[in-house]
Amino acid sequence: MGRYIVRRLFYMMVVILVVSIITFGLMHAIPGGPFSREKALPEETIKILNERYHLDEPLWKQYVSYAYAVLIPHITTIPPSTSLQDDFLVNAQIGSVWFRWMNFGPSFKSRSRTVNDIFRDNLPISAQLGTMALIIAIAIGLPLGVLAALKQNTLWDYFGMGISILGVSVPVIVLGPIFVWVFGVALKWFPPTGWGAKPPYLFGFLPSKLGWDFFKYAIMPSVALGLGSSAVIARLTRASLLQTIREDYIRTARAKGLQERVIIMRHALKNSMIPVVTILGPLFAALVTGTFVTELMFGIPGMGKYFVTSITNRDYPVIMGTILLYAVFLVVANLIVDITYAFLDPRIRYD
Amino acid sequence: MRKNFAILSLLVILSMILTACGGATPAAGEPVVVKETVIVEVPGAEAPAAEGPKVLNLSFGYGDVPTLDPAIAEDTSSIQVIEEAFIGVTHIDEETSATVPGMATDWSSEINADGSETITFNLRTDVPWVRWNGEEVETVKTCDGAADRLVTAGDFAYGINRNLDPVNASPYAYVWGFVLKGAADYNNGVTDDFSTVGVEVVDDATLKLTFIAPAAFNTQIAGMWIGRPQPKWVIEGDCDGAVEARGERWTEPGFFQSYGPFTMSEWIHDSSLTIVKNPFWPGTADIPVAKIDVVNFSMLDDAVAFADYEAGNLDSSAVPGADLDRVKADPVLSAELVTAPVMCTYYYGFNTTAPVVSDVRVRRALSMAIDRQSLIDNVLKGGQEPAQWFSRPGLAGSPTMADYPDLGVKSDAEAAKAELQSYLDETGQTADQLDLTLMFNTSAGHQRIAEAIQQMWADNLGVNVKLINQEWAVYLATIKGANTPQIFRLGWCLDYPDANNFIRENFDANASSNPYTDGKPSGGVFYNNPDFFAGLAVAATESDAAKRVELYAALEQTLVYDEAVIAPIYWYSRNTVTKPYVVRTFGVGGQEALEKWDILPH
Repeated sequence: MGRYIVRRLFYMMVVILVVSIITFGLMHAIPGGPFSREKALPEETIKILNERYHLDEPLWKQYVSYAYAVLIPHITTIPPSTSLQDDFLVNAQIGSVWFRWMNFGPSFKSRSRTVNDIFRDNLPISAQLGTMALIIAIAIGLPLGVLAALKQNTLWDYFGMGISILGVSVPVIVLGPIFVWVFGVALKWFPPTGWGAKPPYLFGFLPSKLGWDFFKYAIMPSVALGLGSSAVIARLTRASLLQTIREDYIRTARAKGLQERVIIMRHALKNSMIPVVTILGPLFAALVTGTFVTELMFGIPGMGKYFVTSITNRDYPVIMGTILLYAVFLVVANLIVDITYAFLDPRIRYD
Repeated sequence: MRKNFAILSLLVILSMILTACGGATPAAGEPVVVKETVIVEVPGAEAPAAEGPKVLNLSFGYGDVPTLDPAIAEDTSSIQVIEEAFIGVTHIDEETSATVPGMATDWSSEINADGSETITFNLRTDVPWVRWNGEEVETVKTCDGAADRLVTAGDFAYGINRNLDPVNASPYAYVWGFVLKGAADYNNGVTDDFSTVGVEVVDDATLKLTFIAPAAFNTQIAGMWIGRPQPKWVIEGDCDGAVEARGERWTEPGFFQSYGPFTMSEWIHDSSLTIVKNPFWPGTADIPVAKIDVVNFSMLDDAVAFADYEAGNLDSSAVPGADLDRVKADPVLSAELVTAPVMCTYYYGFNTTAPVVSDVRVRRALSMAIDRQSLIDNVLKGGQEPAQWFSRPGLAGSPTMADYPDLGVKSDAEAAKAELQSYLDETGQTADQLDLTLMFNTSAGHQRIAEAIQQMWADNLGVNVKLINQEWAVYLATIKGANTPQIFRLGWCLDYPDANNFIRENFDANASSNPYTDGKPSGGVFYNNPDFFAGLAVAATESDAAKRVELYAALEQTLVYDEAVIAPIYWYSRNTVTKPYVVRTFGVGGQEALEKWDILPH
């Protein structure tokens, strides 16, 4: 297992390197640049801006400097400065020596912020929202799917699957404004916009105070976001569980006279979890790194919008930062999923 | 409204009854008078506590405020905060666009021997720098702590220097380059000696700026956000390290210092920005001391902000186009709705060298065939005005509809048909053979306008125009290069309220919509008319206001009719709802003068 994980970590690095090269190439290939304006800037101004951000250098050189700034730890005696070009995610001081790592560069659009500032301020909010949505998705989806499978072709099944079809076909973009209007504007149960936590965060990502002041903001968007995913989980659980309970070993278990509850909980459910766990990996990565539409609908200052606006703004460092962040979350989540397989099905071995 | 009226009538009736009683009581005896004296004293002590701070809640639109640094700002939300936190030498009245005193109490101009203009600004000396200390606004002290740091002419020079310094790569520094002596060379790195720029600090209270040529808009540009003081001691550090250098992060909460009617107290990136009243701003006739204590700007999408307004969390909000019909039909919301002009123009440009539209008759026909009023009534619905020319009325130098009702281009289907027919006869084609393309940047709003105009062209002229859209940055690269389509969409909003900012900065040789490479047109409208360009330069420096309007009227006639380089479509307006307890003005330039707003007890 240990060797397997080490090997996988190596592959992950290769994947991320490839992703970064492709993204870097693509974003420079699309026409227009970060300084395209409706009111065109004079050529001299654009030249000055390009020089400032080293956009006048050959692409390979830009990529190498970027990779160097992000990947190679800087060990120096010079303390961090206030320059936006000099903002590292990891800053550790050992004696008089600074260990500094991961400089994702300044944002071209927000001119007093860096990509690391966005990670520090906005990512925690998206992570809080995404985690709550995922919990809601599992809490609703899993029981609904199990119930539908066990009571196949009964009213329970139709009810469960009806709800899940609704969940899939009514996206957040429809559900969001309905929630805002009904619960925010008309009933005034929850504030229609905003988020209940602000920096500094506990351990860098947890809200410093959990209470009604946090949840009154979080409930609506988390439910709206989680409902769609719960539908997917419910359908997968149902299909997988239906297949599993027809397996020979379940029949054997029944023949041995085991209790139905034990058969389902210990044998059927555990084995039918593999497809569900498989999608939980990418789902986690997608929800936690930011969800553009949900954040827009509920006025939540998360990461989601940077995935979209960084591209329309040609904000190169932010494009690279967001894509790499998503890639890292995705490969790590997939690794965890693969490790979970071995636990769910002891026949799966990696060594 | 009706409910309010009922309450109001009730109050009037009640007060009548009370007065009647009051009139009757003295007869009852003395004690009432004694009681009255007591009452007078009590409210005096209690009233302020009962009122509490006046808090205004507004929205900026979606996305973070890019910066609060006057040296590098370029967008409306950044400039909105800068307008409240830093005041320029001159100030533009938000409603009339008139140039009024800002930090300068007065100024005088002299023409130098080389034809340049030096303007001497006499500055106020009673304005201290302030900062939010976490609890309240306090003045910033000098190194020895004995006195307040006051805003000086040197702070202005430092601000202009930072704006022009190529290191800061300011996107708006080029505006100085047009007018201020030596500014372009310093900004482009030809020289790194700031003393070559026409900025002279005579003493703390006197600033001299030397402009390349006399012009009506010199004083306007001098007051723009690109010439605002910045706190050098915060940016570079001071007092032997006691004041830490904050560099590019000086605008972050905790470090930020300013001196205008408001200062920033909190900025949660992507979420909200809060400004608080600066009690140390002395207040002038044009920029009074703020009446509102706290203004919260949230950063919400327009549709979301409007929902928040309806929920009662915002005091004013823009009305999204989709909600406009509902708002107008609603008895409460329609009373809170105000449609106000905005200094922007929406237009279609022609590539005057492209096939078919290289003929002026075709361009004029296309322009006249657009039924602008119908477009506004049926598609836009937001109270816009049909544009007959480019420089929006309301700008200094710009013709007005009252004085020039027939100037420029008007919608006229018959005349349009005749113009096109003359072209078709000459080239031996039919209207449906013409190959025309209209391009715009991808957006549902531009799409609807383009489709409506496409239909008008088909109905009125019988031409079939293809529509293409491109993503914004791709589009900008297309329309400023050799492959500019025959017809393209653009808009323009003011930087400073003068016609020069519109017509000249767009259509002069090598201006925004008419880029040149090696002295030849290389994109946009591909326009080359030396007489027109010379006329723009003459109009810019004309000192007689009436004469200036005449000059611009003639230039506009050339641009939109005689040569029909562009088809102006509409002049912008905006639709805003405001709660009835908010007293406000409506800024025409994209910024609000929040120091003039008030909140009534409600």
